[in-house]
This record gives sequence, structure tokens and C-alpha cells, in this order.
Amino acid sequence: MEIVESAVHDEARQRAQEEALEALVDQYATTLYRVAFSVLRNQSDAEDAVQEAFLRVLRHRETLGEIRDHRIWLIRIVWNIVLDRKRRAKTRPETDDIAELARVLPASGLTAEQRAVAAQHHARVMACVEKLPAREREVMVLSAFEELSSVEIATVLDVTESSVRSRLFRARNLLAELLQHPRSIR
Amino acid sequence: MRFSTQDDLDRNAGAIDAEETLRLIASLPAPQGIEDRVKSGVRAAHRQASVLSWPHPTANKAGWTQVSAMRAAAAAAIVFVVAGGGWEVYSHIRLAPVPTAVAAPQHIEGGRGLSAATAKRIPKTLDGPVVAAPTNMKQRTGEGKANVLPRGHGARPLAEKSKSSVPAQQ
Repeated sequence: MEIVESAVHDEARQRAQEEALEALVDQYATTLYRVAFSVLRNQSDAEDAVQEAFLRVLRHRETLGEIRDHRIWLIRIVWNIVLDRKRRAKTRPETDDIAELARVLPASGLTAEQRAVAAQHHARVMACVEKLPAREREVMVLSAFEELSSVEIATVLDVTESSVRSRLFRARNLLAELLQHPRSIR
Repeated sequence: MRFSTQDDLDRNAGAIDAEETLRLIASLPAPQGIEDRVKSGVRAAHRQASVLSWPHPTANKAGWTQVSAMRAAAAAAIVFVVAGGGWEVYSHIRLAPVPTAVAAPQHIEGGRGLSAATAKRIPKTLDGPVVAAPTNMKQRTGEGKANVLPRGHGARPLAEKSKSSVPAQQ
């Protein structure tokens, strides 16, 4: 009798965990996708990264109750996944970026030619961002997310808020330098 | 922010432009149906994990005890099978009989009871070529090549030949 009760209890608990996880997917999958895409710049890779992040959450579902801020926790998970993937993958050629950006950029009010020119410009900017040192680049990419404050960026990167600010300052200067003189690397 | 020169203004405009690009990329919408695809992936992984983690781990004490007992029984069964197999193999091994006596080396009699430890062995050597005794220098230079030839080669010295073919005048 006790066994039957415990089985019912387990089933209910598992069901509750599944529901909690699905709620997290509904709430944060889009945000995580955007974070992943900003680093990987490929739709299917970004979606795979989101999937992997939630699979990691599934593996550690017992600790879900202990997490205070699920959003930052999830962003941190997906951030580590995409950095790991990017380290393993070869550097993306600029032509790939242009093609991908031309495909995904909003097309309203733009002719095909304007879209191509815009995609080229954005790809050039992204190539300059790629040339930044890793620490500065990471802060720069995360600061582009308006929903992330500097404190939250610091939590994701596991650094202090002041170092986020100083890295961002350095990143802006370096990026300006690179955009003016594209050949001056670091 | 105050810009001191036109160059600074251009630099900052470039950086602001770059940040605008990053913001644009960061705000790109996610593809349609990503939530459903992720959910189905998570559900599939959850089912797979449930099958692999049989018997289901349970939180309450009774369930934990039951699972522990099952694991202990399984471990005991594995140990029993392994030990039984080991004994089976061991019992069929026939060891070679260990000899009780060791053959002593044959004693070689040395002369007069003396040890042969310091005996010196002299190897047999082959007889080398025998060098013919040298003839005198006068014969060799004055009488030509035939005189140089060693004896026993069938050629005789010219002096001997002439002596035999021309009879001596008396």
C-alpha cells in the first residue's frame, strides 16, 4: 500500500517538475535564443544551444526550487554553452554573416539592395567586434540586451559590476579604433 | 559626452553605430514555434531518462529503503556470480608437481684433487703459410725473371737449362 502511495507521489512530483520546466521554456526560450544568436549568429545553432540549456536544467531539476532568479540563471547556462560551442567551432567567415544577417534582418520598408547593403555594414561591424579581446567582447555583446542591467551582466559573467563598466569602456574605445582603422588589431 | 575634436566625434559615432548593430541583432525575434520544439525535446529526454533510471528514484524513506535493498541484492548477485566463476576456474587448474630433489651438477675430477678453475685453455691454431727462404741478391738481379720463380713451379732457372742443353766442351 505504501509502495503504491509513493509511486503516486513520485508521479505527481515528476509531473510538477515537468510543468515547471515547461513554464520556464515558455517564459525564457525567446530570450535565451536571442542571447545564443548574438554569439553564434546562426539560427539552428542558437536553437540547439537553447535546447541544450533546458536539457541541463532537466538534469538538475531537483535544484530548481533553490534558484532565486531563474532568468539570470538560465542566461548564464546558455551563455556558457554558446561560448563553449564558439570555442570549438571555427571562426565564421564574414560572407556567412552577411548571408545570415540579410536573411534574418527585418525587411519592412527596405528594398533588396538596401537590405544587402545593411547586412554588409552589420557584418563588418560584427567582424570588428570579433577582433575585440574576449573579455571586452563578452561585455559588449551582453550590454546590447536592454533587459540586462550591468549588475545582471556581472552575475552572468561572474565578475564585479565595476569591472563590467571598465570593460565596457575599453570595448567602446577599441571598437571605435577598429572601425576607423580596420587593420589595427588589438 | 563632450567631444574635443572632429576625430573624436567620428570615433564615437562609429562606436555608437556599432552598438546599434549589436542592439539590432540582440533584438531579432526568435523563430516561430521554438518553445514547442524545445518542449518536445525536453519531454523526449525526460522519458528517456525515466527509462534509464529504473527503478524510479523516490524521495520518501520507504521507497529509498526499497531501492537500496534492490541495489544491494543486485550487487550481491554480481559478487556471487563472479566469485563462483573464479572458483570454478581455480578448481580446474592442475598445477605441475613440484620436484622434491634437485639434480646436482656432475663433479668433474681435476688432476690430483686440484681445482680446474685456473686452467688455461690454449686454442688450436691453423698452420700458416710457409714463406720460402730468400735467395741471394746476386742471382735475383743478374739472371732474370726465371730465377725469381720459386722452386716446384715447373720452371727451371735459365742457367740450369743452358747447362743441360749444351754439352760441356772438354
